[in-house]
Amino acid sequence: MPKREGGMSDHVIKSMPVYAPIRLDRSGRRHLLLADDVAALPTGLAADLSPDAFDERWLVVRQSQAIPSPDEHARDRPYRSDAHVLQALKWRLTSETMGLRLYAIGKEAFVWSVWNVALSFGLGGREVQLCASPAGPRRVYCNHCRTINEAATTNIVVCAGCRAPLYVRDHFSRRLNAYAGVQVDAEAPGEVPPIEVLYP
Amino acid sequence: MIQTGPLFLRVVAIEPLSPRLKRITLQSAEGGLLPLSQPGAHLTLTLPGPGRGHRNAYSIVSPCDRRDHYQLIIRRAPASRGGSRHVHEVMAVGDVLEAAAPNSQFSIQSQTRKHLMIAGGVGLTPMLSLTSALRARGAHIELHQIAHVDEVAVFEALLAGERNVHIHTGRAKLDLTNLLARQPLGTHLYCCGPQAMMEAARDAAVALGWPETSLHQESFGAAGGAPFILRLARSGLEIAVGEHDTMLEAIEAAGVAAPSLCRGGACGVCLTSVIEGAPEHRDHVLSEAERAEGRKVLPCVSRSTTPYLVLDL
Repeated sequence: MPKREGGMSDHVIKSMPVYAPIRLDRSGRRHLLLADDVAALPTGLAADLSPDAFDERWLVVRQSQAIPSPDEHARDRPYRSDAHVLQALKWRLTSETMGLRLYAIGKEAFVWSVWNVALSFGLGGREVQLCASPAGPRRVYCNHCRTINEAATTNIVVCAGCRAPLYVRDHFSRRLNAYAGVQVDAEAPGEVPPIEVLYP
Repeated sequence: MIQTGPLFLRVVAIEPLSPRLKRITLQSAEGGLLPLSQPGAHLTLTLPGPGRGHRNAYSIVSPCDRRDHYQLIIRRAPASRGGSRHVHEVMAVGDVLEAAAPNSQFSIQSQTRKHLMIAGGVGLTPMLSLTSALRARGAHIELHQIAHVDEVAVFEALLAGERNVHIHTGRAKLDLTNLLARQPLGTHLYCCGPQAMMEAARDAAVALGWPETSLHQESFGAAGGAPFILRLARSGLEIAVGEHDTMLEAIEAAGVAAPSLCRGGACGVCLTSVIEGAPEHRDHVLSEAERAEGRKVLPCVSRSTTPYLVLDL
C-alpha cells in the first residue's frame, strides 16, 4: 500500500499517496498484475522484477477489437479499456479464494479504481500493491455539489455541476478516487487568482 | 461510565456444564449496572491463592450489551495453579470477587466479508460474544468447534441457534488446509484453543497465502516451565519463579507494581527490558527480530531459558 504524505503547509493540509515500485509479495500464492498501459510497466515494477514473475497479466490495450482469451489459463489478457478490465476484475474476484495478491500499475485514477474494487471484496492493504504516476490531469471532486470533474489540468477549474471556481487541492481521497476541489472565492466572491496549468 | 478501580462481583449462579466445565454468573456486588464489555472481551478475576492470589483472565460469554450480569465458562485446568481449582472446588454462590474491568484483544474485524472461527474446547468462549454481536449485524459466519467426544453435547448446547456450525470430535477430524484453501477473498480467521492447534491453523493459513492481518488468535496464557530466578535490577530483589508461576505473578507477589492488562501475551502493556539472561518468548506481540534480539520480554506469559533473568524493573 502506498504511504500517505502528510504535513502542514501555510494554509492547507497536503495529503497525497506516495508510491513505490511494485515488489513481488512472495507470501501470496497467486499473483495478478493489472496495468492500464504496457509502457507503464518498466517504471512500475522494481528493477529486479520481471513481468514474468506474475501468474497473470491483464493489460489495457485501448483497441475496440481486443478480445480477452477464452482460455482460463491464459497468462496475458488484453482489455479494451479501464472499464472493461475493472468489470472483468469484479467477476474474477467473486470466485477467488484467500492467497491472491493483486498489483496495479498505471495512472492514479486507474490504480485507485482497482483498489476500490479490491476493497469491496474484502481485500486489505497487505493483499494489494499499487504504483501510480501522479503526474497528469486530476479528477476533481466538488466539495459543494459532489460532481466529479474529469481531467483538470489547471490550479482552478470551473465545476461542471455547479459552476463554482474550484481550487484543486493537494488532497487526494482514496474512497472518492479524486482530489478535493473547494470554491476558491468563497471568502471573497469574485476574487479568483490567475489560472495556471499545473497538471498537464 | 469510565471504570477506574476494580470491580466487585458477586457469584449468583454456578452451573456445571460437564465434569470439567462450569458456567459462572456474576453481578455487581454493590448492585446496579456493570461496565459495557466489547465482543471478544475477557474479565480478569483475582482468585484466592498463595501470596496475592491468582489473576486469571476468562472470556465473557454473555452478550456484550448485557449489563446486569457477566457469564464466564471456566474449565478446570489439568495442572491448575489454583485459579480454576478454586472455581471448581471452593467457590460458592454469594462469594464476592475482585475483577478488573472487561477488556478485549480479540475484536471484530468490521471490513470483513466472512468470519471463519476455529475453536478448540473451551476456546469457544471468546467466540460466543463475537457470534452474538455478528449475528445481530447479519454477518457471514462459519464456526468449527473441536471437542472431546464426551463434551460434544455441551458444545452443541452452547452453539444451539447458531447456523453454519461444525463440531469435530478431535483435531484430526478437521482438515485445516482443506478448510482454509476454500475460503473466499475477504475472510478473516479467528482462532482460540490449545497453542498447538492455533499454531497449526496459523501455519496452514500462512502457507496458503493468507496475510497476517487476516489472522487473529486469543490465547489462554501459557502453561508453566522450568523454574528460574528473576532479579529486578532497580530494587535488587531476587524472586524465585516456580514451575507453575508466571513471571508477572511472581513480581506482583514480591510486592512490586508492574503494569499489565491482558495477562495473556497479547496487549504488550507489561513489556519490560531484559538486562541479562535469555528470555523464552511465549507472547504474540514481539516480532521475530525482537525475539531474536532478546532485549524485551512480556512477563505475563514468557519465561527464561537461562537460570537467571535480570529485568529493568
